[in-house]
Amino acid sequence: MSYVKINSLSKRFGDVTVFEDIEFNIEKGEFVTLLGPSGCGKSTLLRTLAGLDKANAGQICVDGVDITNVSPQHREIGMVFQSYALFPNMTVEDNVFFGLKMKGSSKKEAKVNLQKMLTLVELNGKEKFYPHELSGGQRQRVALARALIVKPRILLLDEPLSALDAKIRKNLRQQILDIQKELNLTTIFVTHDQEEAMLMSDRIFLMNKGEIIQQGNPVEIYTKPANEFVASFMGNYNLISGETAKHWFNINTTSPKVAIRPESIYIKEAGRHYADHISSPKSAKIISHQLLGNIIRYNLKVENEVLTVDLLNRSSERLMPKGSEIELLFNLNEIQPVGT
Amino acid sequence: MENSKQFVHKGVVYSITTLLLIPILATFIYSLSSSWGATILPDGFTFKWYSSLLTDPRFLDAFGRSLFICIASLLLATLLVLPMIFVVFYYYPKLDKVMNLLILLPFAVPPVVSSVGLLQLYANSSFQLVGTPWILIGTYFTIALPFMYRAIANSFTAINLKDLIDAAHLLGATTTKAFLLIILPNLKKGLLASLFLSFSFLLGEFVFANILVGTRYETLQIYLYNMRQTSGHFTSALVMTYFAFIFLSTWLASRLTRGNNQ
Repeated sequence: MSYVKINSLSKRFGDVTVFEDIEFNIEKGEFVTLLGPSGCGKSTLLRTLAGLDKANAGQICVDGVDITNVSPQHREIGMVFQSYALFPNMTVEDNVFFGLKMKGSSKKEAKVNLQKMLTLVELNGKEKFYPHELSGGQRQRVALARALIVKPRILLLDEPLSALDAKIRKNLRQQILDIQKELNLTTIFVTHDQEEAMLMSDRIFLMNKGEIIQQGNPVEIYTKPANEFVASFMGNYNLISGETAKHWFNINTTSPKVAIRPESIYIKEAGRHYADHISSPKSAKIISHQLLGNIIRYNLKVENEVLTVDLLNRSSERLMPKGSEIELLFNLNEIQPVGT
Repeated sequence: MENSKQFVHKGVVYSITTLLLIPILATFIYSLSSSWGATILPDGFTFKWYSSLLTDPRFLDAFGRSLFICIASLLLATLLVLPMIFVVFYYYPKLDKVMNLLILLPFAVPPVVSSVGLLQLYANSSFQLVGTPWILIGTYFTIALPFMYRAIANSFTAINLKDLIDAAHLLGATTTKAFLLIILPNLKKGLLASLFLSFSFLLGEFVFANILVGTRYETLQIYLYNMRQTSGHFTSALVMTYFAFIFLSTWLASRLTRGNNQ
């Protein structure tokens, strides 16, 4: 039996439907991500799980108990906000202690627990600091400690890394994962960053326009996109029509579109031997190229289609100039028919 | 070049300050002089005006009444405005625009006009309101409202109200507890600033006090008006005492609001 069960959950604001008939299950200790573009309803879904927004229909069960009508104060769900939402009038210590204080605990009783939490998020020595004296990463760690100290059954993370700069984001991402595994905490993470979702999650729920389009582990979502939206959201997939694909690869498909990952297309090098499934040569012309550090991204014209091809930047001599005529090979195992 | 420029700047600032200080200084010296008639300098200095003022029970009573009315109306304003702004900002953020129009109303009608309206409205009511301090407290509330609303609303926009309350809810706090423990401390600065501003403004209010209540409940400003026929030295001492009091409360206000800014 799943730890968290969501049954046909719906939410409307007036006439606007934010999401409808959402269903999913989450196992204990799992790290799942709600991924989707802004406005897809993922944050509202998270707020509904927390009880901050009320569902119009449907059911939320945690550990076999229906909590749909339980107030947020009694759900035992912790949440970390994008805006940190630290209490500006309280020190780090008082912020973290707040949840225990509401349960009637005194600071003396909680001292050991408080120190343990601050150690967990590596903020020892900052007890007497005020939030405005801390950096963004430190603030978010205080918020994390504040949410964790009351031992929530589920931890909700609402784009907690979005307000941070790249390096701090990377560190905090790892720290969140370490803590999550250490405490075996059921965690729901909301983000619009597909890279973040793939790096962190056990499972991803990809959302668009209030619906879960596809769910699965990061590998499944990335390599087997269910439709055009997933393919364009998850990577730089090349999408060509089913008709063209039939013609090019001599395959039988009824799908209107097929998706080809840019790293599954090869630029043929003379004297190199390719496996059997890498075939279907096509001549192409380089329109432009971009250097993305470890990857060179070519934009190519093949017949009437424009394709993107990613190559590892092994040596700078391989950078081919604009206008070069080359030959392409396709990994036929990675050609993915998709629906619309 | 740089020096001469600074000299000009300093000169302007100092001369304006001096210009503004002259009447205060003159009043102050006048209040301390025994008599100051046809001579350039006063004939002698004395504290007798201050001592007779501060021992005049009528003055002390008027001062006490003024304090009572001001503090009562500010208390009323705080108790009503604080929860109201919270409700507006947390539950009905769209109402902020309506509120901004509403709080301008006391400015739209001049006191002389609105006091006549109030007189007509309450003169024939079944219980006696005109001539009592209560009508003044109600009126002063409307005067204090714009100052209070603007200052406190600014403090509200400066914090992330929704997220803070949400976070507190999830940590087990009720809305009341969240308001008292988290929101209120963050409003302290705006609240204190608006209270002291309204206080000094209300203490000097004359038109409403004179028309609605008059001598039946003599406030400080009415007392000052009634004393205008007595010695100028005496009224100068009165004005200086009033001025010192306002100065003290303003200084206190800036001290307190600075203290909050750790």
